Amino acid sequence: MASVALRRLSKVFDGGTRALHHLSLDVRDGELLVLLGPSGSGKTTVLRCIAGLEEPTSGDVLIGDRLVTHTPPAERDVAMVFQNHALYPHLSVRENIAFPLEMRGVAHAQIARRVVETAERLGLGDVLDCRPAQLSEGQRQRAALARAVVRGPQAFLFDEPLSSLDAKLRSELRAELLALHRSLSATMIYVTHDQTEAMTMGQRIGILHEGRLRQVGTPAEVYERPADVFVARFMGSPGMNVLQGRGRGTEAGRVIEVGSLVVPVELSTYEGELQLGIRPEHVGLCAAGKGVGNADVLIVEPLGSETLVHLNAGGQGLVARLHGFVDVRVGTRVGVKVDRRRLYLFDAAGAPLA
Amino acid sequence: MSWRGWAAAATAAAVVAATVTLSVARWAESRYERAFAFRIAATTAAYVAAVTPSPPTRRGSPPLPGYYLPQLLTQARALRTLPGWTSEVEVYHGTAPLVDATAPPLSPDDLERFESEGGRWRDGAALVPLKDREGREVVGAVAVRPRPMPRGPLPGGIGFALPAALLAVGAAAAIAFRQRSLRRGGYAAAALLFGVAAYADVRAAAQRSTDRWLNDTRLLLQEAATRLPAPRSRVAMADLAALIRDAELVPGEPAESAPRRVRIDGKRRAVASVLIGPGRWVELRTVPEEAYTTGWSAVLLACAFLGPFAILALRWAERTPRRQRRETAIAWGFLAPAGLHLAIFSLGPLLFALYLAVHRWTGGRASIDPPAVRPLVGLANFAAALRDPLTWVSLRNTALYSLYVPISVAIALAVAVALSRYRRGWGVRVLRTAFLLPYVASVVAVALVWQRILQAGSLGLGRSDWLSNPNTALLALMLLSLWAHVGGQMVVFLAGLQRIPQAYLDAARIDGASGWQRFWRITFPLLRPVTLFVLVTGIVGAFQVFTYVYVLTRGGPFPQYSTDVLVHRIYQTAWGSQEFGAASALSLLFLLLLLVLTLAQLRLLGRQVEHA
Repeated sequence: MASVALRRLSKVFDGGTRALHHLSLDVRDGELLVLLGPSGSGKTTVLRCIAGLEEPTSGDVLIGDRLVTHTPPAERDVAMVFQNHALYPHLSVRENIAFPLEMRGVAHAQIARRVVETAERLGLGDVLDCRPAQLSEGQRQRAALARAVVRGPQAFLFDEPLSSLDAKLRSELRAELLALHRSLSATMIYVTHDQTEAMTMGQRIGILHEGRLRQVGTPAEVYERPADVFVARFMGSPGMNVLQGRGRGTEAGRVIEVGSLVVPVELSTYEGELQLGIRPEHVGLCAAGKGVGNADVLIVEPLGSETLVHLNAGGQGLVARLHGFVDVRVGTRVGVKVDRRRLYLFDAAGAPLA
Repeated sequence: MSWRGWAAAATAAAVVAATVTLSVARWAESRYERAFAFRIAATTAAYVAAVTPSPPTRRGSPPLPGYYLPQLLTQARALRTLPGWTSEVEVYHGTAPLVDATAPPLSPDDLERFESEGGRWRDGAALVPLKDREGREVVGAVAVRPRPMPRGPLPGGIGFALPAALLAVGAAAAIAFRQRSLRRGGYAAAALLFGVAAYADVRAAAQRSTDRWLNDTRLLLQEAATRLPAPRSRVAMADLAALIRDAELVPGEPAESAPRRVRIDGKRRAVASVLIGPGRWVELRTVPEEAYTTGWSAVLLACAFLGPFAILALRWAERTPRRQRRETAIAWGFLAPAGLHLAIFSLGPLLFALYLAVHRWTGGRASIDPPAVRPLVGLANFAAALRDPLTWVSLRNTALYSLYVPISVAIALAVAVALSRYRRGWGVRVLRTAFLLPYVASVVAVALVWQRILQAGSLGLGRSDWLSNPNTALLALMLLSLWAHVGGQMVVFLAGLQRIPQAYLDAARIDGASGWQRFWRITFPLLRPVTLFVLVTGIVGAFQVFTYVYVLTRGGPFPQYSTDVLVHRIYQTAWGSQEFGAASALSLLFLLLLLVLTLAQLRLLGRQVEHA
């Protein structure tokens, strides 16, 4: 096992598309790091650069302490699991798992032993002689995993391996992957656009947007201390409410005026344009006129354990997450409460105000 | 539908079917009557030409063209009084009628049109040209109007038609009252009887046509025997035989003069005995028309079965929901053009080839049989084809020639893999076009260009003339085919390569496979269906090679037949030797060979790859 490091990695494609921009990242030995970002953010490009399938335009890739920026994929000793598993359709599961060993000239007896071992470990013992087309979707993904595991590589790269599965299977395989990570104590870089996956699996999460790494941290860190407005909005479902406002001093103290709301803040150093962030679970409803302001109810989404209420507060959208079923009618006017200890303030450019 | 509705529908169907059948039968009969009229008109013209002298001249000067008019007039009038003659005849000198002077004359246009068409049907009479004694100039015409023969009111006479009518009425009633027992069977039986009756009528008309011709020709021959001009005292058989076409005249025994049917050398013939002088009998033989009426039986039965078919269609329509009925009708509507095309241009020729293969059909006229006659010879054509050493030579050549296909497939694959690496750039596009160009160019043009290249001393591909050297001719054809086909195969491979997901190759790279390993372990197996397709179509195409051979070598150099391939051999048998039966047999054997070949290839290479 080895650490993986990226040093000011940039990638510009032939057509001029700039996929990565001076990206630096350290993945510790044995760590499971999740790269999270919307589609087109460059997550997969990062993986392909680490694997050697793409050559970066500038910057360096290190695996262990070895500089591998221009090393062909075969010599990097990393394994990759693809989105659509990429099992060779003309080979049986056994042949698929054996393939990387054969390519590395491992002795036949050893190959046979390791293939069976790995297959047993992933519950594929019964389907070793089946073709990929004969397997269930879950079995296929396990077989792809086995092909990666069998070699004992320096690092594992996962490119949205679970995105083609249904929800139940996905959570099952998620647990299996975590178990595998623990037992192998392997370095894993896991790319996904699904933040549930990122939150539940990642020891650390790296959030990518437009080819830049916005924040790297534990799930709690990125959720509770977002590095900028993008991360704040992206994390959580629904994401954080970010409202455009204006800081102002009044007789009652400092407030921020956002739409129809006037939120008192404890910040003393800022006046003028700024952005106010509140997570939906920190927004509450009360009778009109009682809270920090009034808002109109646009949509009510009862989800059972909670209810999402979409509000219009003087032209600014706001979502409140409330426990259980709530008796609110669409079109009525309600009062808004906010948890004042859980407010986030960003400047106009999106950087947090300490 | 109510019983009234069913009764009406059944009756209507029966009436329509019967009317159609009868009309077709009448039409067929009138065709036979016309055939008789044309035949006897031609015989009459020959007779008139033979018995009428040229205009008289002074001793020593050359004979004048045309006929001596008073004599022509006499001969023409005499035809009207021939006892037993069943037709009205008119002879025109120029445009003027000679027998019935008050009849309307022909127009000059009528005579002129004989240049382009032999004879023509005009006002219920067959009009054929009367040529001068040398048979060059048209000097007049002979018109024959057959007197109508008595005919019964119902087809096939009472014997068939009455039971048919009874059955039809019974069946219609049964359909109306929904009695299962008679509903379909009875109606079909009535249709069958009716069809058979109509066919009997047509056959009788054909027979009558032959008999009338025999009878009238017999009278003409007897007349000719007495009139043919001296100097000979006895008329020569050859002079008489010259009068008749599509028939034979052989010395015969005294016999009844009425036409009869006999079997001569296993073939049916219609004959009539003719007394051409004291104690001199000859036998007039021809092919009976009714021997070739089988086709009509199919047509007439099909017409007669329109009735039961209509009833079936009605019953289906009644049972089927409207939507499905509509869909079925629309489906048939869409299928009909393609089906018709298939039937006319594929199924029809195939059946005709099957028919030809077991018959002897030589293009020329070998006997008195009309040109359309093809005796059944069973498997003799096949046996002859297999015995012919040229068949085996051409098979060997074809097999050798097709060996270019695996080579061209390998080259095409290599080029496709090389080009697919570099999808961008104009260089690649130019190369791709260059490879594809010969494939889309006209085959004949390609062949002609190569003819130049391969000629000795031209563009310098060696000093020898490749195509006229028996050792290199086939090789030259293979090279040229390889050059022409690589492009097409390359394009198919390029498409196949694009269908292979990049992820497989990425996975293989990460798994540590080198370029060669990726090709042999991943790309090539995944391309297997494409390779199979290219190989099978290529070899099947190679077996069908014809154009290059036809344009460049015609199967030569001879006498080794170095490039004579199977299709060219079939072509030569058909159009060179005019043996269409043998050619059909050979092409059926060829079809069988292609089938076996294709099946064997599919079996050998046929494990398909599923892209998961």
